[in-house]
Amino acid sequence: MGPIRIEPAKLLEEALATQRKLGAALQTLRGLDDVDFGVTAKEAIYREDKLVVYRFKGERPPTAKVPILIVYALVNRPYMVDLQDDRSLVKNLLARGEDVYLIDWGYPDGADRWLTLDDYINGYIDRSVDAVARHAGVKRINLLGICQGGAFSLCYAATHAEKVRNLITMVTPVDFHTPDNMLSNWTREMDVDLFVDTLGNVPADLMNLCYLMLKPVRLNQQKYIGLVDILDNKAELENFLRMEKWIFDSPDQAGEAFRQFIKDFYQGNKLVRGGLKIGPHEVHLGNITMPVLNIFAEQDHLVPPSASRVLGEHVGTDDYTQVAFRGGHIGIYVSGRAQREVPGTIHEWLAARSR
Amino acid sequence: MGESPNPDWMNQWQAWSRQYAHAWQDLARNATAAPQPAAPAPWPQAFEQWARAFAPSSAGPGETVDRLIDSARSYATFMQSMLAAAADNPQAAATPWSEALRQAIPGLAGGVFQHPAAQAWQGMQQQGSAGLAQLLGAFGGLPPVPAMPPADLGELKSWLHLPSFGVMREHQERYQKLALAWVEYQEQLGRYNQLMLAASRRGFELFEAKLAEHEPPGLQIDSLRALYDLWVDAAEEGYAEVALSPAFREAYGALVNAQMRVRALVQQEAERVSGDLGMPTRSELNSIGERLQALRREVRARGGAGADAGLADEVAALRAEFATLKASVKHASPGGPVDDGVKLRRASDEPGAAARPRKSPRGSGERAAAATASGNFASRIEEFASASLGAPRKRAPRATGKPAAGSRKTKR
Repeated sequence: MGPIRIEPAKLLEEALATQRKLGAALQTLRGLDDVDFGVTAKEAIYREDKLVVYRFKGERPPTAKVPILIVYALVNRPYMVDLQDDRSLVKNLLARGEDVYLIDWGYPDGADRWLTLDDYINGYIDRSVDAVARHAGVKRINLLGICQGGAFSLCYAATHAEKVRNLITMVTPVDFHTPDNMLSNWTREMDVDLFVDTLGNVPADLMNLCYLMLKPVRLNQQKYIGLVDILDNKAELENFLRMEKWIFDSPDQAGEAFRQFIKDFYQGNKLVRGGLKIGPHEVHLGNITMPVLNIFAEQDHLVPPSASRVLGEHVGTDDYTQVAFRGGHIGIYVSGRAQREVPGTIHEWLAARSR
Repeated sequence: MGESPNPDWMNQWQAWSRQYAHAWQDLARNATAAPQPAAPAPWPQAFEQWARAFAPSSAGPGETVDRLIDSARSYATFMQSMLAAAADNPQAAATPWSEALRQAIPGLAGGVFQHPAAQAWQGMQQQGSAGLAQLLGAFGGLPPVPAMPPADLGELKSWLHLPSFGVMREHQERYQKLALAWVEYQEQLGRYNQLMLAASRRGFELFEAKLAEHEPPGLQIDSLRALYDLWVDAAEEGYAEVALSPAFREAYGALVNAQMRVRALVQQEAERVSGDLGMPTRSELNSIGERLQALRREVRARGGAGADAGLADEVAALRAEFATLKASVKHASPGGPVDDGVKLRRASDEPGAAARPRKSPRGSGERAAAATASGNFASRIEEFASASLGAPRKRAPRATGKPAAGSRKTKR
């Protein structure tokens, strides 16, 4: 007996079912409403160049005294944390009484080609932290860094510790040279000087193609075959398209910042090896002495868990907590499990440190 | 194998097959509302007819639809292969699924360019600016370079190393350099594609190993989708093995670098043409942008928000000092000139004051000196505070070459 036992009748029925779904596609797609995202009300409290710092408005005033500033990655848009009504980290944090702010980096253009990591970290992030602290009437705030924004937050917390009360990192790469890090493997032999000198800002489409190649069959094909299953379900299709929009709605990358990020983080692995300098500041993770919560995803294909979980070995704090989430790099924000587990984990961890 | 198909079953199968073919026909008809021939169209034709109904103007999310159609086409091909295998061998247990899969799976039977990663790299050539081939044609003065086997590329490279002579030698040399970069890029692309082929083969090996795990009774795969999903798992594992290897690291880096060399040389040609036409060039814009960013940093370092904060701190310290002085004077014996409760001590009263240079608060200049001369410390503080923190103050008159009436000319 072989490993495949598909009855021909069942095979044909399966094929016919697929045909029926495809047949419904045209009507469903034509009947779709515009896909919206970013569901929680917010107000801008600080603007600089293309950057905007927002404060989210919950249904009730926050009970937390220390605000959270979310520092998102440069490589995608930050509305992933507030994608839709039933998939929103922000909304769930607000519901628990947290006071949530977020940096929206905007879309860099040619004028931003020369922005460096110094400009981003010691400039934009520092002034955003000041703006949030001023707005909330506190001296120190909680920083929540996500992915590349987490790496930036580590640099910031290590060099401006007096302004950070608690640090939370989510799916944040720390050790860039673990053997399962595909992006790292690909960038190690790249001549990034030639790359940036030639391209200037790095086009978003190029970045997206690179990410799609991490799982080429799954992300280019299987996902869309899965889409066939929901072609007759308007609500599910809208969820799919919302996610699809987020994936491909990517900003270009400021050339100089990209150059330094690839050289110092991906190629030099200086965050753990040492020798990282952001503007005038030497970055030593040992200078991170505030409490740290590090959340990573066990099935993360972009930032392997091994790249994140080493953080505890390098930070200087005695108060380090690590949480492994059962899910992927995106699922940690939008899956049903994420809605149940992640906001509560953050809130309880912060609450325990505000007593 | 070897068993004769049951004639009743065959009749049933043929009926189902007709149903399947008609279903494709209905799909195409419903999508286009165009008159259809009486006989069912072959499924690829019907599929393409269905796909044409999603022309860009007819459905909103265009790119998603394109991906859906591409994936549906692949999956329909997969289904068709499996159905054909089943039709040839109606006894399910004896069906040569493995060969059918080999025919259906991208990257094996259909050539390396069907591997999604190879396709993605082809797409990457188009991103960020016009496609390389078009750029070469537009600015490199080169005809399109056809795909060549590695041996021919080597021969072409040796020709491109020939020295150039005469009045056009500089131009000739540049063109040769560009053509050489293009040929080297093709070589690197060939290496990359070989690795993709290796990834496909490895994926199929893993797939067969995974299939073997399903041989025991009760573990058999009983649906097309489960089979497809198993193949995807194996394909990704095979790809990951290759993509994480040192060989891939080297080949990938070499490919990216080779493409960037071509782009950079094409850009140089574009710059040269732009310069000839008197148009601004990218390097000029870059130069301006870089200087502007450096200037912004300098301005911020000297007098931006940070400087405001520094001044605010300085004023706060002065206010505190003033309050301390005020309090201490209140407790001391009164005497001499008092202003606002504070006994003022003039600078000229201090021993050695004439010989000691006066230290003015930053930015206050002569204004602070004038305040000191008036002897009013409180007003000095207030004036300094309003000047530093941007409190309402009179706008300075526009420079006309003459002092405005009633104004005092100051030096800074």
